[in-house]
Amino acid sequence: MVNYFFSYLVMAGLYGIMALALNMQWGYTGLMNFGIGAFYMLGAYSSAILTSSPSADYIGGFGLPVLIGIAGAAVIAGLIAYLLAFPALKLRGGPFAIALLAIQETLFLLVKNESWLTNGVTGIRGIPRPFIDFFSPQNYVYFYAVVSIGVMVLVYFAIERAVNSPWGRVLRGIREDETLTVMSGKDCTAFMRQSFVFSSIIMGVAGALYVHYTGFVSPQVFSPLMSTFLVWFMVTVGGTGNNRGVILGAFLVWAVWIGSDFISDMVPASMATQIGFIRMLFVGLILTITILTRPQGLLTKKLSVIKLFMEKEEY
Amino acid sequence: MTDLLISGIIYGSIITIGAIGLTLMTDILGFFNFAYGDFFTLGAFGTLAFLAIFPDLGTFTGLSFGWTMIFAVILSALATVAVMLLFDFLFFRRLRNMGVTSLFMSLASLGVSFILRAIIYIVWGPKVQYYSREIQLSRDLGLGISMKVDELFILICVLFLVAMVFYFLKYTKIGKSLRAVSDNKMLAQASGMRPSRVIMWTWIICGLLAGVGGTLYGIQVQLNPSMGWNFMITLFVAVIMGGIGSFWGAMIAGMTIGIAGEMVTGLLQNLATAMQLQANISVYKPAIAFIFVIVILLLKPQGLFGKPKFNLKQ
Repeated sequence: MVNYFFSYLVMAGLYGIMALALNMQWGYTGLMNFGIGAFYMLGAYSSAILTSSPSADYIGGFGLPVLIGIAGAAVIAGLIAYLLAFPALKLRGGPFAIALLAIQETLFLLVKNESWLTNGVTGIRGIPRPFIDFFSPQNYVYFYAVVSIGVMVLVYFAIERAVNSPWGRVLRGIREDETLTVMSGKDCTAFMRQSFVFSSIIMGVAGALYVHYTGFVSPQVFSPLMSTFLVWFMVTVGGTGNNRGVILGAFLVWAVWIGSDFISDMVPASMATQIGFIRMLFVGLILTITILTRPQGLLTKKLSVIKLFMEKEEY
Repeated sequence: MTDLLISGIIYGSIITIGAIGLTLMTDILGFFNFAYGDFFTLGAFGTLAFLAIFPDLGTFTGLSFGWTMIFAVILSALATVAVMLLFDFLFFRRLRNMGVTSLFMSLASLGVSFILRAIIYIVWGPKVQYYSREIQLSRDLGLGISMKVDELFILICVLFLVAMVFYFLKYTKIGKSLRAVSDNKMLAQASGMRPSRVIMWTWIICGLLAGVGGTLYGIQVQLNPSMGWNFMITLFVAVIMGGIGSFWGAMIAGMTIGIAGEMVTGLLQNLATAMQLQANISVYKPAIAFIFVIVILLLKPQGLFGKPKFNLKQ
């Protein structure tokens, strides 16, 4: 039971990192990125290929140290985000969301089918788990919960620092009113690109941390549902534009998602497969009810930039 | 080659049906409704449910399903409309009254999509289902064209529906008010058109199209609770490529994506087979559409037939 709780903490921490990164894009910059799972997946696979032991079935298995794997994940996620930013940031709003969703689907298809690179649906095994020798396999989860929460706290402080700087103020300005920010002499697209790349790097690191926790990676984990939309729900429920809020949202939504396992244990086995989907219903209901009752999420955001200049209705 | 073209036309015509509804909805409601794909699924499963109610009256002229299908499709389309209006009443109407931004509406529709898909999963289960287990063979129709009778049925249905929607938009009073709102919301309101009425009719048309379109899609592929969700991205691509709110744009983009998707993957597959490469290119059929949309968006962000300065925030 305690073990179960700590494995919850590990995943909630990782989702917390994802939610913080998404909050940077959506909550602060106003980028509706429906493809965040792609960067999580890129990070995960980069680190997996760099650090796993060599294999005959696919390229890679370079057996490099874990830290290099994580750095590689950050570099590759950041680089691809940088390259994608140029075409994608010509779009705004809904079309941007759909373009990113399409990019994610394409990358997902590639990872699932190009088995020379990713070993296809079989997935990559034998990814090193750092410091596993010091712990028994049962106790490893305690150590990793500390790692995951620790990194989440680091990311929290880094993002808080970034968004409260003059740079972050420009981002919030873009979110509130892009035209006004352009008029103040800021290159909005450049700022958006920086925010996009910065948060994609964080997502890549989250992906790398995930594969070093499980020691195994396969495409199923990165379906748009699990890797993108769940994070979106966390951010919306927790409080868009509030970093403490999105962490709360991550822990809450993941608790509901995981907690539904207990319900499927209670019903007869014949119904178990269908009841497994009740978690989807729960998170959907949580999202819609939050939006109807508290549109800004559980924790509301701080005073925005443009409000200082003009009264503008929030949402 | 002709086979690829024909399957492309079938695939494209199903995309067209979905895209026409979606483009209308996006334009008039003013947000990207991510629940639309799941209404498609609902239409397909609704038909499955109604088919089970009717007695089997046998099949006709080589179709893999019987007369009862026609009644089942109509009932299912009406049921889809009813569910859409219910969600609008419970949810979207309140959000409109709250005056949230269009991006936030899109996000909210994601929640509706999850609720709907979860309900479909819980009611029908995750298993793949079929309207008919019969395996159909293609028939030669002359001129080197051969297709299944089911596919011919889909084509006729799509042509009929497109003509109906065109007639509705062009000649009926409600259709005209829909186009007026799509052109200029303020002016339409000032001329005495009630927004709530226009929105209700948009849901009705889109619901009917989703109900029938979902069923046609279900005839062509198998039924599973994620079918509409996976199909939705292709529909959005067609909508954006054609230009939001453009009837002809949605049609042309839908057909282009369908034909190009089949032709490109098919020809590349033939090439790979000829070069004796171990490659499975057909899985990338959706990706062809995605490449299309990215190219179109870069060249002409408002789509092929879009309004020059379409702004969802207005």
